[in-house]
Amino acid sequence: MAAYLISRDGLFDLLTRVTDSYSVFVPVRRGEKRFFTKFEPSSSPEESSKEMENGRYVIGEVRTFEPLKIFYLRSRGIVADGFEDTVTRAEQKPYCIVGAKACDIKGFKVQDRVFRDDEYKDPFYIREREENLIISADCASVIDTCYCLALHVNPYPEESFDINLSEMSAGFVAESGSEKGKRLINENASLFQEAKAEHIAERDEQRKRIAGEVKKNIKANDIPDQDRLKGVIEKNFNAPIWKEEAETCVECGACNMICPTCHCFLMYDQMDAQRMARLRVWDSCMIKDFAQVAGGANPRDHLWMRLRNRFEKKFDYFPKIGDIYACTGCGRCISACPAKIDIRRILKRLVENV
Amino acid sequence: MYNSHNPYRPIETAVLEVNTETPTIKTLKLKPKEPLEFETGQFIELTVPGVGEAPFTPSSKPLIKDTIEVSVMRVGKVTERIHELKKGETVGLRGPFGTGYPMDDFKGREVLVVGGGCGFAPLRSLMYEFFEHSGEFKSLFFRGGCKTPKDFLYKKEIEGWSQRDDLDVRLTVDEGDGEWKGNVGVVTTILDGIPMNHAEGIAIVCGPPVMMKFAIKKLQELGFKDTNLYLSMEKNMSCGLGKCGHCRIGTYYACKDGPVFRYDKIKSFPNIWD
Repeated sequence: MAAYLISRDGLFDLLTRVTDSYSVFVPVRRGEKRFFTKFEPSSSPEESSKEMENGRYVIGEVRTFEPLKIFYLRSRGIVADGFEDTVTRAEQKPYCIVGAKACDIKGFKVQDRVFRDDEYKDPFYIREREENLIISADCASVIDTCYCLALHVNPYPEESFDINLSEMSAGFVAESGSEKGKRLINENASLFQEAKAEHIAERDEQRKRIAGEVKKNIKANDIPDQDRLKGVIEKNFNAPIWKEEAETCVECGACNMICPTCHCFLMYDQMDAQRMARLRVWDSCMIKDFAQVAGGANPRDHLWMRLRNRFEKKFDYFPKIGDIYACTGCGRCISACPAKIDIRRILKRLVENV
Repeated sequence: MYNSHNPYRPIETAVLEVNTETPTIKTLKLKPKEPLEFETGQFIELTVPGVGEAPFTPSSKPLIKDTIEVSVMRVGKVTERIHELKKGETVGLRGPFGTGYPMDDFKGREVLVVGGGCGFAPLRSLMYEFFEHSGEFKSLFFRGGCKTPKDFLYKKEIEGWSQRDDLDVRLTVDEGDGEWKGNVGVVTTILDGIPMNHAEGIAIVCGPPVMMKFAIKKLQELGFKDTNLYLSMEKNMSCGLGKCGHCRIGTYYACKDGPVFRYDKIKSFPNIWD
């Protein structure tokens, strides 16, 4: 794969050009967190370029607060408009997502399986997957909740991107990962130059350093490697872990909303005088009535059963049906939980109790 | 067939008839604007515009392609509104979804059908299939139970079944009334002594989870093999496509891999009856 170098100004120009065909989102730092924000180049190019320079846009750094799935399955979106066969799309342009991280990219493996590669296809998801553009980025820093390597995810994207960026002193090393990405580089060839060996070396050095920091995190928190997770749910099905860990849960569902692999949804209908709209919203398996049937029977009546179910889905169901652990090590659920329920601690307890 | 263009879109459907079956169950005859062919045991999602949708297994003949019948028990928000529907109103239909009864696997076999309460609805459609291909099955038995005599779905029709020479019917109620002359007791009390080879026979069970749980146990005791037992799992089926996540049973989704399951496929999953 050919590697290129693009300067910060060059990337800014590229993104500005891309806004013609895409709605571009770039991570912006607010406080200690990063959020995807619509990229709107200011009228004065010099000023805009400075924004890139002064760190408003944080392409490298670490994962955003929101998971990447927000661009593929809206948290609330219309899936049927009365009895019409087509649904008018709210956003006219497809998305270009800049700075997506490897942990989020792994989320695609789960979402694709459910919505694209299954016998039944989800046309809305597939359209986003086909039309959106992903300009991903290596992690250039690590936060203490990161543990991607335990799930065998490297802290730099290796697949499912169109272009990947590795931030470094001279700008970014850029590599294409798809035909779409290759085309974009070719069409904007003047913004790219061939990366030199020293650039590649700097990138590789950084990747090694970041991986080292994630490993330190894993060691410090004693997080089990996924190789040790096989069968731990079955073995702990009746263990007291679930009741103990669920004790502080307030059933808010934040762990589901924030998770790059959680895919469950709820459909509800709205109607005004003329029309009916069917909406799809993200759902949470931690909420009491998730599996309840109309007659009132509930297979997971207790909160601890629902916590166990969440882990069963991620660490038993998906490995069995798709040979994949539905966790990316992004650590979002750890930061999001108001009850301090820590997936790292639960995994550790599960592995120790076999 | 499921709509591959937009599987979440309901098909506009007219309510042709509404018939009261029991104090809590009504049967609706529906006519979708686009043909909706189903295999017996598959289910559909019925939309009441603006209220929501709920899953039902058609109780009509799969052979009839322009209309579809569903029997609906009033238990929740959507079914409450379905019970208020009148002839001529517009509803929506999606589907069919899931995996129905593997009719070909039953050919040449002795078949026992065990129904409980609202489980009669999907079973009526199944019985029509058996009657349609009557000569292809070695023998056919129907054993059904309800809470009280007034809770029987399709009462007249089932009385007619007892006149057929290709079917052996017996019914029971948990609690009799002055007029009931049949057996009193749960459905497992009428499963003994059926003149069929249990070790080779097929048994199909459909009813409330607790009824299926005890019926399966009884059938195992009688010598039926787990690989010959079929049941319909009642789960919170919503999307019908194995995506929304609500109806998972172990490594399956009831809406896609079921609702009809062969017992040996799901018996090892924990808490399937809850």
